Amino acid sequence: MGGYLLRRLYHSFIVILGITLIIFIITHMIGDPVVLLLSPEATQADRDELQRQLGLDRSLPLQYIVFIKDAVRGDFGVSFRHQRPALELVLQHLPATLELTLAAMVLSVLISLPLGILASMKPGSLLDRTGMTFALFGQSAPVFWIGIMFILLFGVKLRWFPISGRGGIENLVMPAMTLALFSTAAQTRLTRSSMLDVLDKDFIRTARSKGLHEFKVILKHAFKNALIPIITIVALQFGMMLSGAVITETIFAWPGVGRLAVNAIYNRDYPVIQAAVFVTSLFFIFINLLVDLIYTKIDPRITYR
Amino acid sequence: MKRFFMVFFILCFLIPSVSLGAPKGKLIIAQAVDLTSLDPARHHTQGEFNYDNAVFDRLYLFDVQGNSVPRLAVSHRIVNDTTWEFKLRKGVKFHNGDPFTAADVKFTIERILDPKTKAPFAANFRHIKEVNIIDDYTLQMVTEKPDPILIKRFAAGATTSILPSKYIKEKGEDPFLRHPIGTGPFQFVEWVRNDRLVLEAYEGYWAGSPLVKTVVIRPIPEDATRIAELQTGGVDIAVNIPPFLVNQVKAMPGVEVQSVPSGRVIFLYLNTLAPGPLQDKRVRQALNYAVDKKSIIEKILMGSGFQMAINLTPYHFGYDPSLQPYPYDPEKAKKLLAEAGHRDLKLVFNTPSGRYIMDKQVSEAIAGMFEKVGVKIDFKVREWGDYTKDLVTKKLVDIGFIGWGNVNYDADGTFFVYFIKDAAFSYYEDPEMKSWIIEARHALDEKKRKDLYTKISKKVFEEAPLVFLYQQQDHWGVSKKVKNFQARGDENFYLYRVGVEK
Amino acid sequence: MKNKKTILYLKKMPIAGGVIFGLVIFSAILGPVLVPYGPADQDFSKVLKPPFWQNGGEIKHPLGTDMMGRDIVSRIVHGARISLFVGLVTVLLSCFIGTWLGMLSGYIGGKMDSLIMRLTDIQLSMPYILIALAIIGALGPSIKNIIIVIAITNWVGYARIIRGEVLSLRQMEFIEAAVVGGCSTPRILFYHILPNVVNSLIVLATLDLGRVIIFESAFSFLGLGVKPPATSWGAMLADGRIYLTYAWWLATFPGLAIMFTVLGTNLLGDWLRDILDPKRKRYVLV
Repeated sequence: MGGYLLRRLYHSFIVILGITLIIFIITHMIGDPVVLLLSPEATQADRDELQRQLGLDRSLPLQYIVFIKDAVRGDFGVSFRHQRPALELVLQHLPATLELTLAAMVLSVLISLPLGILASMKPGSLLDRTGMTFALFGQSAPVFWIGIMFILLFGVKLRWFPISGRGGIENLVMPAMTLALFSTAAQTRLTRSSMLDVLDKDFIRTARSKGLHEFKVILKHAFKNALIPIITIVALQFGMMLSGAVITETIFAWPGVGRLAVNAIYNRDYPVIQAAVFVTSLFFIFINLLVDLIYTKIDPRITYR
Repeated sequence: MKRFFMVFFILCFLIPSVSLGAPKGKLIIAQAVDLTSLDPARHHTQGEFNYDNAVFDRLYLFDVQGNSVPRLAVSHRIVNDTTWEFKLRKGVKFHNGDPFTAADVKFTIERILDPKTKAPFAANFRHIKEVNIIDDYTLQMVTEKPDPILIKRFAAGATTSILPSKYIKEKGEDPFLRHPIGTGPFQFVEWVRNDRLVLEAYEGYWAGSPLVKTVVIRPIPEDATRIAELQTGGVDIAVNIPPFLVNQVKAMPGVEVQSVPSGRVIFLYLNTLAPGPLQDKRVRQALNYAVDKKSIIEKILMGSGFQMAINLTPYHFGYDPSLQPYPYDPEKAKKLLAEAGHRDLKLVFNTPSGRYIMDKQVSEAIAGMFEKVGVKIDFKVREWGDYTKDLVTKKLVDIGFIGWGNVNYDADGTFFVYFIKDAAFSYYEDPEMKSWIIEARHALDEKKRKDLYTKISKKVFEEAPLVFLYQQQDHWGVSKKVKNFQARGDENFYLYRVGVEK
Repeated sequence: MKNKKTILYLKKMPIAGGVIFGLVIFSAILGPVLVPYGPADQDFSKVLKPPFWQNGGEIKHPLGTDMMGRDIVSRIVHGARISLFVGLVTVLLSCFIGTWLGMLSGYIGGKMDSLIMRLTDIQLSMPYILIALAIIGALGPSIKNIIIVIAITNWVGYARIIRGEVLSLRQMEFIEAAVVGGCSTPRILFYHILPNVVNSLIVLATLDLGRVIIFESAFSFLGLGVKPPATSWGAMLADGRIYLTYAWWLATFPGLAIMFTVLGTNLLGDWLRDILDPKRKRYVLV
């Protein structure tokens, strides 16, 4: 195990290096920040001067070397727009993102796993059909539509929750529900189908014929065996929410990393883009490692060569 | 006890809200974007200028009509063509108690001009060669060439908000940028990025204490959310109400809509620099005749716009009221195109999406109108950064939708930027027109400038280097609890006379 | 275990699914000929008409009109072609790439596994808007390029889930038996592994379809989306978004069209799973 972890650590290092290189190339491909940073009266000389100030006049390889040298020390440069260190900006926005993502994740797991399991026990039952209709809705309704409907219903009409911004737990409810909807749908459907798969297997029949209580059969034997795809999708969606909550953040004016990163992309704010992608990649690497380790706990036959 | 409260409340109502006494209440404003920093010199967008207006002050401001009003300056005198002398206001104090003096003005301007500051608007002040302190309250500025709009540049330029030179020199830039102080009506309290900016009344403000105790400015990008907050009392003022929601907002109890013609004009670029049919005046005029501005304003903008003859509004010095907009005349357009000999004209039409009110929708409608007079359109929606890069590097192909907010309130800010080839946004140049624009730019005689701009305007109309569309109308949603708030055409808000009943 | 009602329900599903999906495909192919208006037919005298059952609506525009007086029904029908094309092609493409990479990763393991999984780490960390802008910069905007962008951002989900399943499958006796029996790796993957992951695949693919069709709307203002005057459901959603609280029908009907399509594919997916899984088929045919 120790050897495996060490190897993963080494691979992660290569991955991060790869990501920095790709992101460096891509950011320089998407265009010039300078034209977006100056007044219309600015001349070509002004633009050249700013280019020099930002260090963008140097050759690309040289810029990359400087970038890596600084990045190793945790310095991603100063944001072109915000005039603050890029990493500091990302870390400032991270708590809001983590709060929202964790809340949405907990919500969707708490709903989807029981719903998926119950639905799989009696396919075609009322509960199954209700659950799947809900899932259908969740997988095909646009996020902005859901978000604005929540605002109109729970915020304006019923006045149960504050409409926007970050604050107490009541501020978290609507954005978390909005963000959770798609993943709840996905997890419910996948849980149901994995459970159906397993419930067909011979060992379940054996367990049943031994006269075990149905709930014990379901939870102990079936669920455990259906868990691998479920864990995978939960982790996958957790990661995607971390980086992909932009629409939810925009609608609820939530001060998260998603909005920061997307605005940085639109403004060609290279340092912020690079820092944001770097931080996100750390999360993905960690989550995926965790998942691989959980696999071996669920199914001890799984080994990594 | 109960009765006591009753009396207390009645007393509260009897005392007019706009009166002496300590500032009270909390005013929450929702705007679409957040600040990027707390440094006025580096500011770039309207959302940032509103913070500058609250925490700082500058030499001049514009009133609602667009006349410059002295603020930290009290008067000026033109010493010679290139030397201006300003008398400064006495008794003004920064939030930390330091007195405001000529040194602060010098420091602020020189800081903007320092390339290390990377001030976006440095180009607008680069011609200020020297700032000389005569005494604590007298200052001279020397410009490279005569600059008739120097005062307007200060009035429009929130980036010239006066900074505390002594404080910054003693404490350093970084501490200042974490907790800025100015001479404005509100003091900085707290800023949580992308969430809220909190300000508090500065009772020692030179023009009198502001009426509101606390101001919170929140960035809420989504229109629907901003309006829902306004409706439920979560915010007191919401900017940028889209035209189609104006009636809905008006119908909300306790909320009113303030509508005001904007200084922003909308038009289409025509690339006349690249060889092609757009170099032919008749083609450009034909495109102007082909657009049904009335329908666009009535149907897509729901009435929130005013047809334009050229790209200047009545706010601007040099505006010529005698010019009438190109009428909608598709037959004439077809005739002009035929005369020009362009039967199978095919043009690329670029538009941003979501940058200006209804931009993509208006563009789609215009593309349809061009097709109706026989011009084939290749329609391209462009991401803003990508589009701007093309514009500035003169790579725009054929036609492009654009908005222009000239907040100098002077024709120079439009003509110089659009009709002189070297300027970033220009796709047109005519030697005669250029010489007039340059002449007006450096003439200190108002009458002469006015005459020049009238001449230029007439030529601009005739030459049709752009397809002229409309002047926007802005809508602000304002709670009835808010007193004395006045929406402005330049999208700025000034809060020191604004009160709130709570 | 299963009562009669359940069986009946299971039996009816594929028919309903087929009918729905057939209807959508039909309107995508033939619809443009049948509807009265073109997608770009502007009529400024009929701007933002509500659906016919609402005050001010008219039967000539049953689902209302948009801000340029264009007929919503006609636009939905015209938009079906691009939306379905983008949706189906990207889902099939990313499903194909993801499945094979996932199977290879899980079955072969070792270096192959590390390589593919670390690729997923990299891919997941890249914001799609960034990739989209880079593609616009390099290749220019077109429908083909939207498909490329979505496919390269989307295969990862398939790869990771399939790999997870294969990791536990490859330890199973029947796989070991196949290996001992001298089956080649591609043969094992195709005949022994694939049938056992197909259920998850179908669920994932049907989940993805709606998401991808909506996802296309995210590109329309980047200039990567469908080019007016042509339209797609995604573009209609994007246009209708700001009007949601004023003219609800602009974004809601394309949304319902997407939901309808997803419903059809879900039902078809269930049916497909029953066909491919001999054991389950039994129940259906009883």
